[in-house]
This record gives sequence, C-alpha cells and structure tokens, in this order.
Amino acid sequence: MSWTLMDKCCPKCWHNPPSNPCPKYIECRIKGPLCHDSSECRKLRARRLNELMFGRHGIKVRVALASCTLAVGAADVYYAVQEFVRESGLAVDVDIVGCHGLDFIDPWIEVVKKGLPPAIYANVNPEEVSNIVSSYLSGDVSKAFAIKYRTGTAKGEFLVPTLDELEFWRKQVRLVGRNCGIINPESIEEYVARGGYLGLVRAIKKSPDEVIEEIRLAKLRGRGGAGFPTWIKWKAVKDQVSDVKYVVANAEEGDPSAFSNRLLIESDPFIVIEGMIIAGYVTGANKGYIFVGAEFDLAAERLKKAVEEARKYGLLGDNVLGSGFSFDVEVFQDAGRYTSGEETALLEEIEGKRSSPRVRPPYPVSRGLWGKPTVVNNVETLAHAAVIVREGWDRYATIGAEKSGGTKMVSVSGSVRRPGVYEVPIGTSVKTIIDGLAGGPPEGVKLKAIEVGGPAGGFLPASEMDVPLDYDELLKLGVAMGSGILIAIDEHKCIVDLVRQFMVFFVSESCGKCVPCRVGTREMLEILNRICCGEGGQEDLELLQELGETLKNASFCALGSGAPIPVLSTIRYFREEYLTHIREKRCPADTCPVSREVVRYEG
Amino acid sequence: MRGNVRVRVDGTEVEVDPKSVLLDAIKKAGVAMHSFCQAGEIYRGASCRLCLVELPNGKLVPACAFPVSDGLEVRTRTAKTLRVRRSTLELLLAYHRIECWACMRKGDCVLVKMATDLRLDGIPVCAECPLHPEECLLSKGILCLGPLTLAGCDAECPATSGRCWGCRGPVTREDIVVRALKRYMELGFNIGEVVETAEIFWSAHPFLEKIKLVTRGV
Repeated sequence: MSWTLMDKCCPKCWHNPPSNPCPKYIECRIKGPLCHDSSECRKLRARRLNELMFGRHGIKVRVALASCTLAVGAADVYYAVQEFVRESGLAVDVDIVGCHGLDFIDPWIEVVKKGLPPAIYANVNPEEVSNIVSSYLSGDVSKAFAIKYRTGTAKGEFLVPTLDELEFWRKQVRLVGRNCGIINPESIEEYVARGGYLGLVRAIKKSPDEVIEEIRLAKLRGRGGAGFPTWIKWKAVKDQVSDVKYVVANAEEGDPSAFSNRLLIESDPFIVIEGMIIAGYVTGANKGYIFVGAEFDLAAERLKKAVEEARKYGLLGDNVLGSGFSFDVEVFQDAGRYTSGEETALLEEIEGKRSSPRVRPPYPVSRGLWGKPTVVNNVETLAHAAVIVREGWDRYATIGAEKSGGTKMVSVSGSVRRPGVYEVPIGTSVKTIIDGLAGGPPEGVKLKAIEVGGPAGGFLPASEMDVPLDYDELLKLGVAMGSGILIAIDEHKCIVDLVRQFMVFFVSESCGKCVPCRVGTREMLEILNRICCGEGGQEDLELLQELGETLKNASFCALGSGAPIPVLSTIRYFREEYLTHIREKRCPADTCPVSREVVRYEG
Repeated sequence: MRGNVRVRVDGTEVEVDPKSVLLDAIKKAGVAMHSFCQAGEIYRGASCRLCLVELPNGKLVPACAFPVSDGLEVRTRTAKTLRVRRSTLELLLAYHRIECWACMRKGDCVLVKMATDLRLDGIPVCAECPLHPEECLLSKGILCLGPLTLAGCDAECPATSGRCWGCRGPVTREDIVVRALKRYMELGFNIGEVVETAEIFWSAHPFLEKIKLVTRGV
C-alpha cells in the first residue's frame, strides 16, 4: 500500500491517537507539514493530492456507485470499466464516486486525464465503455454529457457544456452536497483533501456557546420536516445536567419518493459524522448513534466504513484532536418502518423496544435515549451544522429565506424531464425547482399538481406553484415541507386515486398505538375506496374532512396527524375532481375503477 | 421540597403536586372526564386519546400524560375537544364488536357512559340493562327491543321487568342491527313480529326502512 494523505509523512510527525493526538492533524494534511519544514514532506503531499485527482498514472475513471445508479446497472458499468482496463493493458486507475443527484444521467462515469478536461458521460452502457474511454484518451470529448472545466486541448471541447454552464447545475447552491459525486465515499482521504473535517477543527477551537451562537445566527432549522430551530435543541441539551448525553442522527427516510438523505450519506458519509462530532462537542455528549433505515444497506455500509476510518485517524474516540473531548459513533440499522422515523420511536428502537412513539413531554432533550438528554437531528441538519462551522455563519445566513437560512436538498420525481436531488436555497419557488432545475413536464404533458413533502405533505395545485419552498410559507397553504419531496403530477394521474394510495401506505405503516391513527386511517381508506369505485356519496366528503380534522388534532405523533393532510389539501384544491367521481361516476384521468366495467364477485 | 402548583381547570383553580399529570388536577377540580385509564393495560401511554383537553393556544393535549406546571390553564369541554373526542370514540366503537346482550360487563361498561355523554349513536339499551345474560327477558320469551334501541335511558323498563318498546329510537348501525336480528332468530322469535313491535315507536324513523331491508337478508 502506498502512502496516503492520512499517514505520517515522516517520523517527525507525532500524531498518535488517542494518547498523543495532534490538534493540527487535519490542517497539516493539506497545508502541511506544520510542525517541521521539509520540502520532502511537502512534495509527498502535493504528489498524493495530484494522485487523488488524476490517479497514479495520470488517468482515472470514476464510476458513480450509489443506490440510484446501481438501480440502472452501474455495477455492470463498473465491471466493464475494469474489464476494459485489464484487456487494454492501459495504466488507468478505476475509482468509485458518489452521485451528483442528477438521476436522469445515471449510470454515469467520469474520465480524467492530465491535460484534458475531465468529462462526464451520461447513461453509459457496459458495451460503450471501451469506446468512450478510448475516444476520450485520444483527445475527443464530443460525446461527453458535460465537462468540468475547459483546457482547450481536447477535440469537440466547445460543443460540450461545462457543468457550470448547465442551468440545473448553475442554479443550485451546493453546500452540503458539495462533495456529492466528486469524492470517493469510501475514502476519508478525498474528503480531507477537499477541506473536510475543517469544520470540526474550527469548532473545537471555540467554546460550545460560541458554536451555538453561530448556529443561531445562521438561522439553521431542522431539515427533517418540522423545521425546529437547531440551536434551541442543542442549547437545551447542553444546559441539562447529566453525566451521559447522546446525539442521534436520524437517517430513517421513510417517506416514499424521498431520497435526498440517502444520496447524501451514500455520496458523502463523512460530513454527517463531522456534524455529529460537532453536535457532541457542543452538547457535551460522548456517544452518537446514526439511525439508518433498513433499506439503506449501502448507506449503512459506507457510514460504518467512514466511522472506522475516523476512529483510525483519531477523529473519533478518546481525546479528539487533542481537545480532551471524547466521542464515538455507532451505526444502527433499524427494522424498516415508517414510524421509526419519529424521533421518540427511533429512541425506543435503539433501546431495543417496539418502535412506537413516546409520550411527549418529556421531550428527548431532557429525557431521551435511556432516559438521558438526547439531541435527535436529521442527518442533513447535522451536515448543515458542519458547513456552517466551516464556512462561518455570515456567509451561510446570506443564503436562504429571512427566517431560515441555508439550503435544502429536495428530491424531485414524477412527470419531470430531469428527476433527481437538487440543493436549492430555502425560499426558492417551487416553480423554479420544477421548471428551471427539473426541466418541467415532458413534451405535451401539462402539470396538474405538485405533491410537496411526501405522503404527509400535501398537494399544491399547479396555479400555486410560485410559493417559495419555506416552512412557514408552505404551512399557510396547508401543506408541510416534510423532508423536501416534490412530486410532479400530470393530468394523466387521478388525484383521488393517488390520495387513496397514500392512505394505503398509512394504513399499513401505522404503528397501531393510538386510536385515531389506527382506526381513522382505515376508515378514511374505506371512504376513498368507495369514492374510487363510484359508490361514494356527497356526505363522504364531509365525513373525510371530519375524520381528517380528528386525526390531525388527536393523533399521538406527527405521523398520525400528517396522515390526513393529503386528503384535506386535495379536498381544498381539487374538490371538483372528487365531485366528478361522486356525481358523474367518472374519473377525469380514467384510472379509477369507477370509469371501467368491473366484474363484481358476490359473496 | 417545592410547593404545590396551581392549575386552572375550566376556570376553577386547584392546587396539585408538581409531579402529577393534568388528569389528577382535573379530577381534583371535580370535572368529569372521558378516559380509558381504567383499562390501563390496553391504553397505556396516552394512546386512547379520549382525555384530550385544550390549552389556551388551541392545542389539544392528553390530560393523562401532560405534566402540570404553575399557572397552566386548560379547558376540558370546548367545542373542539368534544368534537374530536366524539369522533375518536366513534372510531373506537367502529371496531368494537357490539353484542351487549351477550356481554358480561352490563352496567359496568365505560363505553356506554361515554357514548351517551358524547351523544354518540351505536350502543344498544342492553349495555345498560342490569339483567344478567341468563336472566335476559329475551331468553324468557318476552319480545324486548333492547338490542335494537339506542342506550341512554339507564334501561329503566327492562330493569323493572317491563320490556323495552324502543322509545329512544333505533341504533343506526347496520352491523349491530344484523347481529341483533340474528339473536332474535336464534331465540326463536318471528322477525316479522319484531319489526311490527318496532313500528309502534319508529314508524316515522328513516332507519326503519333499512331494518326492513336487513330482515330480508337475515
């Protein structure tokens, strides 16, 4: 194994965690050596940084491997690249990389050679790999989807846009997603080479109160859905007197069609861990858990690897970077249930119990995991905290809306030309995201509604698309921001049927603890079934609304009170569509059983 | 040792131990409350959602789990709380197999008390009838309309050995009617006779047509 950036450059380096850690270890990796001067050691670093960019032999092929690309055959592409390298005998490094979040170009590869512009190839077939790589190496990039920058040396270079020239890339503000699709998610080295863990270094130089103040001034609000100011949570836990405290990162992304957290962890697990260490330092916690959803196997694997590497280099464990503060992280993979994403249900599950929500108050900040004060934050929130500490609150607060700063990763899917994960400043209008970034609906299709925030979010009619993506603004229209999901719905989808499908999800995912959610969702589904089959009556709408209000007010946790929101918001905006089903016994989109001849079986 | 805290329940001020929950304060204030705390094992941990009370900011919280604090002000019988409680109990009853004529709970049933209080349809007179299933008038061959009639009268007639004539109107839930009519048939009553008796008080009730429809199916 050759020398890596994380290793000692020469025997003079005295970084030896945990007994004798060097506080300047991280800065030293890229700016170093700091404790002694040696051109030899400086050269060693420069050479390695160069190697990380272009590979050991000056040519590197990066294959994007994340759930989104693997689903469309990136594994085959990866094998094809390896096969090509073996057969051609070229000195090429093959590396893996996370995903940009541009799901419409999956599977993609990036080919880099010194002196040529790094080129990204979209929708790669395993058969095309040899053609792509050999034509690139001969200096022709005309087939590329985009290039990273221009060098003026390749053929067809000016026919291909650079990433920054692409509208959907330029309009994004990538703060937490800065490294997504750029670094190898399994190598801490590349993260550190891009300025990773500098946030942690800055944080432990300050007092916890200063860090909390910075988070407050940055106007960071929880990205999990409720939008609770993060600094209040942290301060509350910090002020608790307890010998044991915990930090829990919530990566149970249960909503269907939410994939931004998964992308973040799979492409850049380190930033989450960095944010957790900062949260631990600020609140005085010594133990962190990352609660990963059952279906996120790859994410859990990468997180575990990242935790191991951080431990190895003294970023986790006793006496982190010589600050005297100890912190360790454990990755916990759950059994996979929608309710597990609720902050108290998740604590129950870590304790080994059934994942039902707990009575609140007491809130987790005072009595959380095993009765100890606990910070429960979404992984994206923690990543934002790391960014704030690294970049400084003043820069961060200028991005975003008045009451909540920064950016949000949104997962856009449905009838759009460019589905994917986009990171936009909070307060960007939904229209900009759908039309500007995601490319709007395909040719000849008109959008009817935008589903915001997943099943527990709500539907916005296409006429209200100018609303900014902001916690308070969306609530005014009766929808919740949730975990940043936007689903574009065109005219060929029936709203009532969609709502019914969401309700099927809630019925099967309700934990069954409280009456309104357990029975109420079931009754609502029955009514929606009735309407879809053309057996609904006028009074069913009022019944739905009444049930919805009950669920909203009386449910035990936020998942139960979120369940009726799709129904309530569609009755508000799409009443006509319900009435067409009820009065005319007709489905406008022609997808419900009401508009078909149905064979009925008696009995 | 900290002193007691003052809580205002529907305008009445009470002093309670700072460690208690809202429900204790409400009980101390002498306000009747709907709750399933009797069935503690089933509805442990504030899950029945029937003791919801309103805070001044309009938020509904479960009284059985909400800790008291000094100066806390709650209202227990606002329109909103009653509407939500009524709806919740209705949901609970929807999955309760109602066969009160065969149930041993009799006068001890919490559901019937709450249902009458919240003006909720769905529980027959049998639930309040003190007669043990073995002493039931029906088993003696007396045509009592208890299984079909809405509870709320404390079952005065059956209790004093008279039969129920259904003066409070029918239970308007089809599944109960089906079960009740099956019960009549099991005991050897003529369904036509049952309907005839029901017509005395219910001839103008819209649900009678439905009952007649059901009799054809049974």
